[in-house]
Amino acid sequence: MHYPWWYVPHLTSPMLIAFIAVVHVLVSHYAVGGGLFLFVETRHAHRTSNREYLDYLHRHARFFVLLTVVFGAITGVGIWWTIGLASPLATEVLIHTFVFGWAMEYVFFVIELAAAFLFLYFWGRVTPRTHVLFAGVYAFAAWVSLVLITGITGFMLNSGNWPERGGFWNGFFNPQFAPQVLARTGGSLLLASMYVYFHASICSPSSALREIIGRRSARPALLGAVLIVAGGAGWFANLPESSVAALMKAPALNIFMAILFAVTVAVFAMLYFGPYRNPAWLTPGFGVLFLMFGIVAVTVGEFVREAVRKPYIVHNVVMSSNILASEIPGHRAAGFLESGPWTRALIAAKFPQVMDGTRIDERRLLDLPPPQRIEAGEILFMHHCNDCHATDTGLSAIPHVTIGWAPEMIHDVVTSPELFHHYMPPFAGTPEESQVLAEWIESVRPPFPAGMRFGPASAEGGE
Amino acid sequence: METVNPQDLVATLGSGGYPAAPWFLMLFKVLGFTLHAVPMNLWYAGVLLAMLLQAFGGEQARRWSARLLRQMPVIIAFGVNLGIVPLLFTQVTHYRVFYPATILIAWPWLSIIALLILAYYGAYWVAHGLRGGETQLRGARVLAGWLVAALFIAIGFVFANGFSLMTNLQDWPAIWQRTQVAGAVTGVAMNSGDPTLLPRFLMFFSLAFTTVAVHMVFDAGALARRESEVYRQSAARLALPVHVAGLAGFAVFGSWYIFGVMPETSRSALLAFPGVIFAVSTALAPGAVAVALFTLRGRPVSFGAGVAVAAMQVLVLGLNAISRQIAQSAELAPHLDITAEPVRWQWSPMVLFLVLFVAGLGVIAWLVRRAVLESRAMESQSNGSPGRG
Repeated sequence: MHYPWWYVPHLTSPMLIAFIAVVHVLVSHYAVGGGLFLFVETRHAHRTSNREYLDYLHRHARFFVLLTVVFGAITGVGIWWTIGLASPLATEVLIHTFVFGWAMEYVFFVIELAAAFLFLYFWGRVTPRTHVLFAGVYAFAAWVSLVLITGITGFMLNSGNWPERGGFWNGFFNPQFAPQVLARTGGSLLLASMYVYFHASICSPSSALREIIGRRSARPALLGAVLIVAGGAGWFANLPESSVAALMKAPALNIFMAILFAVTVAVFAMLYFGPYRNPAWLTPGFGVLFLMFGIVAVTVGEFVREAVRKPYIVHNVVMSSNILASEIPGHRAAGFLESGPWTRALIAAKFPQVMDGTRIDERRLLDLPPPQRIEAGEILFMHHCNDCHATDTGLSAIPHVTIGWAPEMIHDVVTSPELFHHYMPPFAGTPEESQVLAEWIESVRPPFPAGMRFGPASAEGGE
Repeated sequence: METVNPQDLVATLGSGGYPAAPWFLMLFKVLGFTLHAVPMNLWYAGVLLAMLLQAFGGEQARRWSARLLRQMPVIIAFGVNLGIVPLLFTQVTHYRVFYPATILIAWPWLSIIALLILAYYGAYWVAHGLRGGETQLRGARVLAGWLVAALFIAIGFVFANGFSLMTNLQDWPAIWQRTQVAGAVTGVAMNSGDPTLLPRFLMFFSLAFTTVAVHMVFDAGALARRESEVYRQSAARLALPVHVAGLAGFAVFGSWYIFGVMPETSRSALLAFPGVIFAVSTALAPGAVAVALFTLRGRPVSFGAGVAVAAMQVLVLGLNAISRQIAQSAELAPHLDITAEPVRWQWSPMVLFLVLFVAGLGVIAWLVRRAVLESRAMESQSNGSPGRG
């Protein structure tokens, strides 16, 4: 492990990334689709000289800037902040591979900002043509920034031939790139319409205007739905085999996929029978409910998209245990604790008796007294397993997932976790390390639940 | 763990190599920091000064205060985005020390995001209270203004912690020992034991006041077209004492930092050729700006004068960024040799980025010019006089 490990009790630090990422995606997609909405609708309102609609769009633009430029932009920085803390090795790999991609995205961010502020603050102070131009530049820059970041997030899910060939473009144009651009573009259109319906249902004064908004925004939303379906199919078709297997195997993902499917169908139905066929339905209740469904769909979708990457953070490159996939054989030979600067320094300071010069002699771990072996096992757990498993209570806590396990089973799972669940990373340590890790797990594992019967009760009432 | 050699904690050399030569990456790191420092200085010291002038300033001082607070949402937006560049290139060049340092202070470091969101929305709310030419903040917005000022200073302090800890490797083992669970870092520490932290923080905070003073002049000359002659005269008059106060702090805290607590390696690098050229320039350049402000005092600031003084201040911040880089590189030299990293040039993405960077600046300039010219023409039409533009 190249870096120190950040211990977040109960939740685990990678879950912080998931939380901030989902919150950001809910706003960033609106930042893209909302830009297109403002461009198309401002042009329409100017062309038809619809003052009432222009006034509404002005109000919507304020809401849009307040939400996207502040919350959207800062939570975007927040994701970057959190991945550097919780997955520093993956961030290191991504930054060294895609620094110029991020730099290009930054250029488009700055263009977005300039165009958004000019669009809002010069409202009514420039010609309609220029005003629409500002919106158009914003919409284009926002969409390009979506394309650029999708190249990087798609790479994380399926790195394609990058591990063999390397290079910026091989990584950027990965198998997930085109499907995810389609799906995210569709998601942006659909989610933006939901925000528009929500905002219009509360802030638009006349029912006639609400009907116009409902009808006009339904078409891009429907286009978004089609793109989501097409992109989603492409996403599934281009998943690595390990991700498809995770979707089939992991019970939590089965449930989430069912929820995602059901909520997506409900969203499409609400869109078709609501704003598209019956624009008059655009009441505050409908607006809130529709947006809530959209938020649930996006949240679940993003969670599934992240979860199917396991056991990788970057497919075939960085393991979820924060080591490189290519390092596993070396770590198995030299030792996991020995291979990380922080773990090596820790063992040297705590258990100098296991050191052979400046190196850890892994065999000596088993010579430690039992309490110290358990302590060494906890260190291994913390640095190898805590990215997915909480230590005591919380997310997939190790005492909870090992309730009643026999020592032999613990040993087998620790030695080859990938053979039990392919979405777990292989154990990247020596047999001595797996032994002390198993001993620590045994020390925290609760006993088999009492009172369970697997056959007829005996006359004495025993089990 | 106090026996741990800090050098042993520097992260393993990455396998990917740099995507461009170190000089190129460092150039963008320093250039990015310079560009970020301009708006950042304005929220860092500017909001505090604006609130002080709201409470104790005269009419014209409050007018400047209101103008700055109204501009703050836009300043923050661009400042945050300009801050991405130096952080991006810092992570490319200094990843082996940047990630460990920030992980050691993970929670305060992450809190920057929450504090920034609060400060940003607060700044919007304060600005909203000053719409329509209002110059006096009222009611709860006064409290919000002070809170925003405090949040920005707190954010600056956490940043100073992160970046000073990046070079303060000798304190890593002790911080780690204090805040670990089975060797994993809880991330609740700050770099409070570093003697360079406070003078660095105060030195940069003082320098920020000089940028705020320059903003008064730049704003009066370039942006305050609709304000009275009296205001544009008084802005230049107000700027001088603010600048001198900032300059005095910069000199005092800078001397404390360089001659009192700076590690010998960094001091030697700064005081020996060629570093001494930048060190002396960094020390003297703000004085040149003070002289320029002195000559402008009591006169209505022209557009050219405002832009010229602003350009001088950008140069001051640029020199400061170069000197900081020299000191940082010298301090890290025993632990990190960034020139040893293999370089695998990513030519086509780099060229595309540079082309987009230049084109992007062009597009923004074109959009702004179009907005300004058209709005002036429309304003002139509505006033019944021919446009200037």
